Amino acid sequence: MAVKIVTDSLGDLPSGVAKELGITVVPLNVHFGTQTFRDGIDLTAERFYEKLASSKILPTTTVPPSSVFVGTYDKLAEETDEIVVITFSHKLGASYATAVEAKGLMKRKCRLEVVDSRWAAMAQGLIVIAAAKAAQGGAKLDEVVGLTRRNIPRADVRMVFDTLEYLSRGGRIGKAHTFLSSVLRVNPVLGIRDGEVYPFAREHSRTKAIDYLYHFATGFSRIEGMAVEDATTPDEADALAKRLGSKFPEVTIYRTKVGPVVGAHVGPHVLAVSVLGDKR
Amino acid sequence: MFAAATGWLEKCAADIDALNVFPVPDGDTGTNMLLTMRSSLEEASRTTDSSGASEVAQAMARGALIGARGNSGVILSQIWNGLAQGIEGKKTITGSDLVNGLLQASKVAYKGLSNPVEGTILTVMREAAEAAKAHADSSGDDVVSVLEVTVNAAKESVANTPSLLPVLMEAGVVDAGGEGLYIIFEGALHYLKGEVEQLKLRKPWLVASSVPLAAKAPQMVGVAAMPEVPYGYCTNFVIKGQGLDPDKLREKLAKRGQSVIVIGNDSAVRVHIHTLDPGEIMHYVVSQGTLHEINIRNMDEQYRDFLRMQKERMPEVDIAIVAVVVGEGLSGVFTSLGTTAIVPGGQTMNPSTKDLLQAVEAVPSEKVVILPNNKNIVLTAGQVQSLTKKTVKVVPAKTIPQGVAALLAFDYEADLETNVQNMEAAISAVKSIEVTRAIRSTRLGGFDIKKKQAIGFLDGDLVAVSDKPEDALSEVLARLNLDEAEVITIYSGADTTPADTEQLGALVREKYPKLQVEVIQGGQSHYNYIVSVE
Repeated sequence: MAVKIVTDSLGDLPSGVAKELGITVVPLNVHFGTQTFRDGIDLTAERFYEKLASSKILPTTTVPPSSVFVGTYDKLAEETDEIVVITFSHKLGASYATAVEAKGLMKRKCRLEVVDSRWAAMAQGLIVIAAAKAAQGGAKLDEVVGLTRRNIPRADVRMVFDTLEYLSRGGRIGKAHTFLSSVLRVNPVLGIRDGEVYPFAREHSRTKAIDYLYHFATGFSRIEGMAVEDATTPDEADALAKRLGSKFPEVTIYRTKVGPVVGAHVGPHVLAVSVLGDKR
Repeated sequence: MFAAATGWLEKCAADIDALNVFPVPDGDTGTNMLLTMRSSLEEASRTTDSSGASEVAQAMARGALIGARGNSGVILSQIWNGLAQGIEGKKTITGSDLVNGLLQASKVAYKGLSNPVEGTILTVMREAAEAAKAHADSSGDDVVSVLEVTVNAAKESVANTPSLLPVLMEAGVVDAGGEGLYIIFEGALHYLKGEVEQLKLRKPWLVASSVPLAAKAPQMVGVAAMPEVPYGYCTNFVIKGQGLDPDKLREKLAKRGQSVIVIGNDSAVRVHIHTLDPGEIMHYVVSQGTLHEINIRNMDEQYRDFLRMQKERMPEVDIAIVAVVVGEGLSGVFTSLGTTAIVPGGQTMNPSTKDLLQAVEAVPSEKVVILPNNKNIVLTAGQVQSLTKKTVKVVPAKTIPQGVAALLAFDYEADLETNVQNMEAAISAVKSIEVTRAIRSTRLGGFDIKKKQAIGFLDGDLVAVSDKPEDALSEVLARLNLDEAEVITIYSGADTTPADTEQLGALVREKYPKLQVEVIQGGQSHYNYIVSVE
């Protein structure tokens, strides 16, 4: 029986890819006041950013209760005896803890391993995709877990912001708080390091910030996957994906959306590049 | 009352942890004191309502002895022990009883250590007790006023600890244990005065050092600065038995390690010692009684953890940036972009080499980049290199826009060489426009200039003359090919009115709708406008 892969919706996996690779995505919840939506199920990224622009209240997000994970596990356990769960960084939210808690509450007997990806967005997504491909290729649980752990230090992500307001209000700003106080309007480039949001650069113009993303991606070799994500600026992302595509014609570049849960914390106009490969 | 004090302490335990710098590299003084207090309270809560002050104090001392954590916790337990001795037999306490308790607490605390160090919790305890005594002798027996004096004296004493203990001075912090003790006293005082709201809603203000901060960051506290060997094992345990002799034990152990603390009575003794060979210590003490709560920690690891924690709390200042800037707004721009130190100066007010040298010496980093931001300061900045042991690089920014561009290119991750290269490259990618008024009539660069006319410079070359500064700026902008540009930042000078600036901003936006135009009150003297085009 093939290993089943579970992840949370913070990985921004395109739904087509998840389906094709048999990945089960546990949706986080997005709340606008009293309204609750399941990430990617009741609320698409497009609709979310429309709401974000029109809503007076800032959205919040929650990890679903462990019962949701338990339900997912038990259902999958009907078809397999090995499950690998890959969550977003435990420093950014409770997904990992909840996934582990749920393991103890399963009704069905099944080998199950929870791995903290230490990333979010497509940096997590690319790790999940690699795991799912290995599982499809017949790898057993230990191999999938081993591969995933080896891939964690090989992933990286950078995001261009035009405001850090959302990140700051949502309390996930981490070390990037040093970028908060700028008097000048600059474009912060943030990433994740050691599982936390980390400040990398500030560029005076958006074009330079996007150049930063390009140079970040071209700093990798033996690339297994790459992703370009936009929130509300698809043209920019398309252009960047095209530019990267001509540099790396042999690499699969996933062109996706920053999903609602990530979007609730980073805000609109974010542009992100994730890479799984070796840093030069 | 002491429950309130513990709650008060809890609110700032983490802050106190952060203060911790040797002599004992525990790095968790606040937490240790808090846990010790909790253990005291647990024991105290077992006493009944009819128990008098003496019984409660004895229970607290017992609880602290059992639950003491770390150096500071152990000393704290000695303080409760002394307090209990000082008020023994009292059901309720007067001001003078409290004074007796405090004096005894101080005495016992000193006695518990083989080598008492001043500038620590001990000093704070002693000075607070002395002040309490002086007050009670002169002005009476009221408990609240005695405690109030105690709190104030403790506060002063804490602030003064760095002048008694060089490592604190070096690290620019006060003694963490002393701070914890002060907070406990203060919490108790709030409670006695009935300030329940205060306890609930506010957070303690930590006392800051009264000694000017030495310009060194905590992570730079070197091994050489420490008064004792920073390696080995931090060893803690309790011996239980009969006929134990703490004094004799202390004497024996003092020869076998450092930071020796031995406290207790004939049936239970708590020991804290730093030793290279914990096995030897254990071998010796096991002959004295049964061993409990044995905890041996590698201090190298503690020290590393401590350094890492300090580093996490500090801004990363591996490379510091010193910039020459004038004007409140511009200083704000530079500071908000991560400039470590600003030397005031610019056109017509060039700082001296000494001014720059002082700033370079003061920043907490061995590698320093200087941004002169004026062509007349570049050479002066270069002089600093030969006058300091620090590695100094001058990134020759000749204008404010060049300085800002260089600053934005700074990468915390990169080494000094790479940063200097990146910053120099960024300088060449920005155009600087400066608009000022002519101080005399002259003929220059093909222009006839009348006194007080506005003149516009592009990267240092005179290119426009006009009656109004705004017009001069528009002329300079018109000379530039702005197809490739994206951002125009206008810094208005001290003499420019906000209305003029706003109007100019609107005009530029209208003229160049594709560009991101930002207007900032730079507040610089001399120049009506400084503008960057990128």
